[in-house]
Amino acid sequence: MIAALGLVLGIVAGLFLEPTVPLWLQPYLPIAVVAALDALFGGLRSLLDGIFDDKVFVVSFVANVLVAALIVFLGDQLGVGAQLSTGVVVVLGIRIFSNAAAIRRHLFRA
Amino acid sequence: MSSPETGRAATTGRGRLVAALRPRASRGQLVAAVLCALLGFAAAVQVRATQDSDLSGLRQTDLVRILDDVTERTARLQAEARDLEEARRQVTNDTNGSRAAVEEARGRARTLGILAGTLPATGPGIEFTISDPDDEVTADVLLDALHELRDAGAEAVELGTLDGPRVRVVASTALVDAGDGAVEVDGTRLTAPYQYRVIGDPGTLSAALDIPGGVLDVLSQNDAQGLVTEQDEVTITSLRPAPEPEYARPAPEDGDD
Repeated sequence: MIAALGLVLGIVAGLFLEPTVPLWLQPYLPIAVVAALDALFGGLRSLLDGIFDDKVFVVSFVANVLVAALIVFLGDQLGVGAQLSTGVVVVLGIRIFSNAAAIRRHLFRA
Repeated sequence: MSSPETGRAATTGRGRLVAALRPRASRGQLVAAVLCALLGFAAAVQVRATQDSDLSGLRQTDLVRILDDVTERTARLQAEARDLEEARRQVTNDTNGSRAAVEEARGRARTLGILAGTLPATGPGIEFTISDPDDEVTADVLLDALHELRDAGAEAVELGTLDGPRVRVVASTALVDAGDGAVEVDGTRLTAPYQYRVIGDPGTLSAALDIPGGVLDVLSQNDAQGLVTEQDEVTITSLRPAPEPEYARPAPEDGDD
């Protein structure tokens, strides 16, 4: 409940404060957001599975974001940033889909 | 989740979700909330940044590629503009050229029309009146006079009576004695006094008629009288229909012009 409130609060703050993204963060922010979404769906699934753990959620969230950003950073340094970003988004998207499928099975039993 | 009061209801996924929605302030919940808030914030910021500007969110390689595209497109459009301007210049030149050609053809048609007798003509010249009280002037005399006039550079000639019919004299004009002192010119019967109206250099024309043993001498020997008056402007209005050639066609020219 508090987590959902926090999500809404964050969205509202982002919409109304209109901060500018710092230049060094611009390539990484979209990937980080997708990675965090993946962590969020993973957490929701584990919650429905009954194996949710706060610590695991926090660690997976932070690790997801950092690893995604690291991969993109590495890709930028190697000159394949765009391709690696696409790869990361694809992988995370697949994970989000599978998590969403598990959540759906739990909620609708279908 | 693992707290004892929710444990019994949390056997199914839905039950666990409902249980999780109950507000409880534990440290883990707060941390998760903070992370979720961070995610929402970042997502909202990113969405807004993406909507705000297309280019500022792109990485360097993409920007270079876009710049290349734009440069290439500019070059292509400039080349196209050059081609179109070239085409336009060509079309303008062509238009001017064809206009000049039409003007030239029109001028040539006018000249030919005067020579062929299909157009009225005006210019300096002479009026040559032949009075013939004894009907001694025959077609031969008139023809001699016409040859003399042509030799002297007559450009347009008209033969007629003083106040009667007038006939444009061209290359194919025939003069025939019609009896009773009359002369038939291209089917038109003329009687004395005759009058030539000629466009050409007046001095040359009158001098050509006046040479010793020339036309005027022959006329006076035949008891006829020739009177030449030089005019600043002679206007010849009698016309001759242009015959349509039945067999002859323009031969193709060699080369362009």
